[in-house]
Amino acid sequence: MRITRLGGSIAVLGMTAVLAACSSGTPGSTDTPTANTGPVALEFWCWGTSQKAKVEAFNKAHPNVQVNHTDVGGDRDTAAKLLTANRAGNAPDAACLEYETLPSMIVAGALADISAHTGDVKDAFSPEVWDLTSFDGAVYGVPQDVGPMVLVYNKKRFQELKIEPPATWQDFAKVAADVRKKDPEAYLTTFAPAEFGNFAGLAQQAGASWWQVQDQTWTVGIADQTSHEVADYWQGLIDKDLVKAQPLLTPEWNNQLNKGKILAWPSALWAPGVLYGVAEKQAGDWAIAPLPQWKEGDDRVAFQGGSALTVTKTSKNAAAAATFAKWMNTDKAAYDLQIEMGEYPASLAGQQAAGDSPPPKLTANQKDYWDVATKAAQRTIPHISWGPNVSTAKSAYEDAVSAALRDRTPLRDALTKTHNLVVEDMKTTGFKVTGP
Amino acid sequence: MTAMPRADRRSRAPYLFVAPAVLLFLAFLAIPICYAIYLSVRGLRLTGGGVFGTREEVFVGLDNYVRTLTDPEFFAGFGRLALYGLISVPLTLGLALLFALLLDHAGTRAKRFSRTAIFIPYAVPGVTASLLWGFMYLPSTSPFSYLTQELGLGEIPFLGPGGIYPSLANIAVWGSVGFNMIIIFTSLRGIPAELYHAARIDGASEWQIAWRIKIPLVAPALVLTGLFALIGTLQVYGEPTTLKPMTTEISQSWVPLMNIYRNAFTRDDLPLASAASVLLAAGTLLISVVLLKVTQKRAFGGMQ
Amino acid sequence: MSAAGHLLPHRRGRILPTLVLLIGSLYCLVPVAWVLVASTKSSGELFSTFTFAPGTGLLDNLRDLFSYGDGLYLRWTANSALYAVAGSAFSTLISTLAGYAMAKYEFRGRNILFYAILAGVLVPGMTLAIPQYLIMSEIDLVGGYWSVLLPGLISPFGIYLARVYAMSSVPDATIEAARIDGASEYRIFGSIGLPMMIPGMVTIFLLQFVGTWNNFLLPYIMLSDENKFPITVGLYTLLNKGSSQPALYGIAIVGAAVSVLPLIALLLFLQRFWRLDLLSGGLKG
Repeated sequence: MRITRLGGSIAVLGMTAVLAACSSGTPGSTDTPTANTGPVALEFWCWGTSQKAKVEAFNKAHPNVQVNHTDVGGDRDTAAKLLTANRAGNAPDAACLEYETLPSMIVAGALADISAHTGDVKDAFSPEVWDLTSFDGAVYGVPQDVGPMVLVYNKKRFQELKIEPPATWQDFAKVAADVRKKDPEAYLTTFAPAEFGNFAGLAQQAGASWWQVQDQTWTVGIADQTSHEVADYWQGLIDKDLVKAQPLLTPEWNNQLNKGKILAWPSALWAPGVLYGVAEKQAGDWAIAPLPQWKEGDDRVAFQGGSALTVTKTSKNAAAAATFAKWMNTDKAAYDLQIEMGEYPASLAGQQAAGDSPPPKLTANQKDYWDVATKAAQRTIPHISWGPNVSTAKSAYEDAVSAALRDRTPLRDALTKTHNLVVEDMKTTGFKVTGP
Repeated sequence: MTAMPRADRRSRAPYLFVAPAVLLFLAFLAIPICYAIYLSVRGLRLTGGGVFGTREEVFVGLDNYVRTLTDPEFFAGFGRLALYGLISVPLTLGLALLFALLLDHAGTRAKRFSRTAIFIPYAVPGVTASLLWGFMYLPSTSPFSYLTQELGLGEIPFLGPGGIYPSLANIAVWGSVGFNMIIIFTSLRGIPAELYHAARIDGASEWQIAWRIKIPLVAPALVLTGLFALIGTLQVYGEPTTLKPMTTEISQSWVPLMNIYRNAFTRDDLPLASAASVLLAAGTLLISVVLLKVTQKRAFGGMQ
Repeated sequence: MSAAGHLLPHRRGRILPTLVLLIGSLYCLVPVAWVLVASTKSSGELFSTFTFAPGTGLLDNLRDLFSYGDGLYLRWTANSALYAVAGSAFSTLISTLAGYAMAKYEFRGRNILFYAILAGVLVPGMTLAIPQYLIMSEIDLVGGYWSVLLPGLISPFGIYLARVYAMSSVPDATIEAARIDGASEYRIFGSIGLPMMIPGMVTIFLLQFVGTWNNFLLPYIMLSDENKFPITVGLYTLLNKGSSQPALYGIAIVGAAVSVLPLIALLLFLQRFWRLDLLSGGLKG
């Protein structure tokens, strides 16, 4: 934050601004004490329950760099705020962003290339994970947590209804029908219109590639054959009332979950943490299973969600911010805190540590939790690329799918509508786009 | 209008008195408007540099206006707004007038209590009001749906298709009926009582008095409240935004201001948002002026 | 009522109007009653018990509310109070000065100013939020208290009302007499105009106060540090985060209840000072 700029207004209001001076010195390393200047002050935006403790731990370990953490909301809010703040010239030094949001932020000129500082941590991550933040040799962030997709299910209710977690999506449909027969008030799962990342992950698992770029020329595949087939699959489930179309994590949804009327959620490894917050009473009742596959015997899954810690282009302390980003995602103290809060760390050492820890509270009774988790993490699809206007795509997808569910028009048409809007938006901005 | 003190025409006093207001007006109304107009002819376009290229701001002429005016969603937003306004504005004014007349009616009891109770929602911020009503609409927490379910009628689809317009309009009516009632009521209190006496002696009923004397005399207050209700309708934003996570009925561009907000902050297209803002502001101004002309300058006419 | 004495309507003419008003009152009070009841419920009870059945979690909820984010809720309240009180006080003063000048002086540009202010009343304030944000960022104020306070200081409607009130309540003869006694224009305003306009100023202040207290979009756009949020934005973010941490729903509800009470008390207390006839009074032109 520009302390000098804000100082005036804060002082006028009689607030005691005990803020460290924004020194001009940029220490190359935080371990080197800089003479005559106070500690470097960094502003950091991030959501998530583990951040506060992680930042405190960092500040304790680094007397020369003091980070001030602000939670400005989830990825969507952070991205929106970051864009305007970047334009206004008052962006923070570092911020968390979901992987899919990175390209649009790079195109907006909001993020700094920190490849000069990250040589020593590259090997701390698997190549698939490192690829999520590096583009053509430039590095725009350090991976923080990842979400390999899994099926999270209420094992207790499954046993009551005598059903097994499905191995394929064909089985999934059968189980969904079984649930409706055995408990007419319950649904195996819900289909939420605003879950762009979730649907993208399911389509990617089926083989779709929503964006590709080669020599600055883009190909968009949101409405390709595979994606349409995935849409048709869910359409069938919704039409037969086997799956309920409903927004996710609303008070209503949470209530049904608590009553045991929503039995499973195809999502990612962060889901047990989220559901625990929603249905504390069901701790121990749940478990995870590999995500159903389109073909029996396959085991590839996509990532859903997960975030990286980025450094902004306007930061005057990029080196210190990069050090901070690295520490937050490779230091043992940091990933231990992440694991405690139910996040799945991005670093290999963090994942190793997670595997050695007890399972999250929601799935406390599942003995092979980490076996299933580790297997999913090792079999994620490499080289997923996101487009430069994912935020536009997200909002277009959400509106088109909501409208389709409301008006009972085909989901595949909603994908086509999203696709066209995305391509048109890219062309207006000046991107070269091939194909339809 | 009274005569002005001529001797002071050249005094600097009035300029000093209006100076703070003029400065702030320029800084926070005039300049932002000009800036919005400037921005509306700019656009973010891809230039070289970086892995994917970087977007820079360039002059694009009337592109953003064309895009706004050819965006069916923008107009659909006005359509939804019109439907919403058709429910909320007449209901607000009608109820406010009814309550004001009843408060002014001689035989009514519990006046102080009713006046205060109906005025209370004015103190509740729109976001809070939406939160309250949102929970009262959700099937699992709604007392109304609870009753209908107990009666075996199923839940009321407050947030479903068809239900969403009345549900949203209700929040607006709830929040503004008290304030409008007070405006009309104070204006009723300003009517000399002799007018009623004369009518009563002529044998007019209370209904006739209300209809023939009171309502025509408070017409200026009705025009004013109607105008505010209309401007308020064009600015609807907080209520549908707060209810949005609870329903699939409300899209991100449900009303024009949501469309503008989405373009500005979700899609990072400030120029497009500016063009839509300029159109919306100009449209509001036009509608207000037309409305005032139609109602023969009854409101805001006190200048010359 | 003036006419109540000798022309009381018959019984039916009393019951029906009273009944209608009481139904209206009930309609207006139900959501407030709901939030008060809901604030006594623990997050489990919120969805599992009948909505108007009181719960057992009031004290826990209050404790959670005030301990959330190290007392963030109290900060939001303090911020809302700062924005509303300081903003409205200065805004009222500025509006009074301008309204008085426009009512009591002829000066060049007065008509232009009047029409500009009228246009300002009619332009939707929200369409200005984004350009205001950009202007604020140009002068490096975005994110600070000033970014919310400054745009709130200019209130075209307040100026319009002040002008109406000055025209009707400050007699020209009094001003003229003071001039003859040799008082300066500033003295005349300070010792004659201002005191006479106080009832009008209270109304302007209250309108502005409620408007600022209820404002959402401007602070939502301008601010990112939750320590500077007013209550409206704070509650909205709680509700937003509530989808993944439902315990926050309980906090948002009890927070809404707690935030509504003082404002209702304030309105009830100040009701007698309201001169809302000012609003309609200006229309008799």
